[in-house]
Amino acid sequence: MSDPVSTPHPGTTRDASHDLRSGPGIIIVSVYGVLALAATGRSILQIVEYFERAPLSYVLSAFAAVVYLIATVALARGMRRLAWVAISIEMVGVVVVGIASYLVPDAFPDRTVWSQFGNGYGYVPLVLPVIGLWWLARSGRAPHTD
Amino acid sequence: MIFALTLVVCAASLVLMVLAGVYAYRDRLIDDPLLGVAAVVLLGTLVQLVIGLARMSSIDEGSELATFAAYLVSLPFIPLMTTFLAIKEKTRWAMGSIAVGAFAVLVMTARLQQIWNLNV
Repeated sequence: MSDPVSTPHPGTTRDASHDLRSGPGIIIVSVYGVLALAATGRSILQIVEYFERAPLSYVLSAFAAVVYLIATVALARGMRRLAWVAISIEMVGVVVVGIASYLVPDAFPDRTVWSQFGNGYGYVPLVLPVIGLWWLARSGRAPHTD
Repeated sequence: MIFALTLVVCAASLVLMVLAGVYAYRDRLIDDPLLGVAAVVLLGTLVQLVIGLARMSSIDEGSELATFAAYLVSLPFIPLMTTFLAIKEKTRWAMGSIAVGAFAVLVMTARLQQIWNLNV
């Protein structure tokens, strides 16, 4: 597993990008990509075709989709700070909207990615930001120089 | 949707998931057999896309239609993206991402069938 040729030089952006995408990161980036794709497509259709039916739900869906897109790009390109911001928004979003959708179900006549804590998407929206933040924290540690 | 096609796509993605999982476990890199299975999954999702787009007007429920169309279009990108990443990044984790992607194809294709059965 240890590869002396490609020992990272700490501090350069190139290595940061390599860091976030390599190893388990590639799985996390893929899952983000899939979710971003599905959520974006769904939300575009909702807004174009049936916006008046559940405006709040659809605006939230669109917002969530944009956040997933940003998180995917940030992770894939190693933009660490942007990834932190996007994934934190996601974490807060899924918890707040999740709770709100149970307390005020009338406000959410149609499902969003985040309502009911993302159960429409197999709770992936709830689990993913936790994994994402863990990955950012873990890969952010200074590389061991031994 | 056409049940037989759903079965084929689900079966192929299941094979891809298991195969990629084994490759990840054994630390093997992407090779022709795995690419072949991935190609079958890709082809299946493309056929599904064409047929689905042609028939989706028979789904009346708006939000279900939105999910249906979004999944249809998203699906072919999954095997495409994960295998492309695996060719570029030759690690066992890339194999893991193919396996996870194949699982997503399985679930989303089953969901397409479910939406179809409930709404047509």
